[in-house]
Amino acid sequence: MTGRQDDPDVSLLRPYLMTSGRTKPVDHTIEIEAQVMTSTLGANSVQNLTFERRDILSLCRRTMSVAEIAAMLKLHIGVARVLVADLAALGYVVVRRPEAETPQDLRMIERVIRGLEALR
Amino acid sequence: MDSKPFAEPTSGAPKKPPAPVKIVIAGGFGVGKTTAVASISEIPPLRTEAVMTSAAAEIDRTGHVPAKTTTTVAMDFGCITIDDEVKLYLFGTPGQDRFGFMWHDLVVGALGALVIVDTRRLDDCYPAVDYFEKAGVPFVVAVNKFDGMLNHDLNDVRWALAVSDEVPLVTFDAREKLSVRDALLAVLRNTFSRAQARAAAP
Ligand SMILES: Nc1nc2c(ncn2[C@@H]2O[C@H](COP(=O)(O)OP(=O)(O)OP(=O)(O)O)[C@@H](O)[C@H]2O)c(=O)[nH]1
Ligand SMILES: [Mg+2]
Repeated sequence: MTGRQDDPDVSLLRPYLMTSGRTKPVDHTIEIEAQVMTSTLGANSVQNLTFERRDILSLCRRTMSVAEIAAMLKLHIGVARVLVADLAALGYVVVRRPEAETPQDLRMIERVIRGLEALR
Repeated sequence: MDSKPFAEPTSGAPKKPPAPVKIVIAGGFGVGKTTAVASISEIPPLRTEAVMTSAAAEIDRTGHVPAKTTTTVAMDFGCITIDDEVKLYLFGTPGQDRFGFMWHDLVVGALGALVIVDTRRLDDCYPAVDYFEKAGVPFVVAVNKFDGMLNHDLNDVRWALAVSDEVPLVTFDAREKLSVRDALLAVLRNTFSRAQARAAAP
């Protein structure tokens, strides 16, 4: 989608241009804390990719969040989301998304409490 | 919401990524959000930016009504490894009303929120308090003791903020790791008792 010169939307879409001109992310709901890990397929396919996609696969040999990817690669969070969703659709990364029920999950809350209590 | 991974590991992936959980740290400008994240995070706080657009016109501070609101919001975040399988993220974000439209993204699925207030500028935190109340996100108000001083009685703070008695109010020092830890524990215990009450409800 390209806008006219005076179209105020043009600059808004800019960050998305590098994502193959797609203006709608594959799954824009992917959470900023979702964990991203390069799969074996991804690790073996690095050389087929360019720029940010390649950087993400290199970075995510160590599992990290979408937010961390954005910060490390200096990408807007929306761009990082699109790229990660793309790579996930190709099977190049494994994504672990947060559970929607976590705020009601007593055992998980207790577990986090115990973990924090252990901090010194 | 789909909480399954997008794709299964294609072949012999080393291990499952940890389950991410998060707490949001909100409050007005300069109240100590970044300081709090930095004090407790195991990585130096990272900063990321998001371009936010809102089709719904909102009135900004200058009184103009833009056809479309666009803002770049910066948020700082850090993380704490809870155990082998759980990682806690802390997202510090400005609690200004004009950022409201991005908050859903930030807050969805959060275990709770810590609203930091500076008693010299109490009203700065109103938008955050309003938002969490409306969104039903359990939150705790934490008064940052700048210079170890408390300028107000805590009861006065509660009264000024008009938060209900059920909202825990704590004091802390954003520069002290253990103090931040205790404020986060207050958030989690508050979330826990709410979840427990809800589970017990008929
Ligand atoms: N004396 C004292 N100074 C503090 C405390 N917490 C934060 N500060 C200082 O207050 C200033 C603002 O703190 P930040 O952590 O940057 O606040 P913030 O909420 O992230 O600010 P913005 O991101 O600009 O909204 C910094 O200079 C901190 O060093 C505190 O507990 N005591
Ligand atoms: Mg800050």
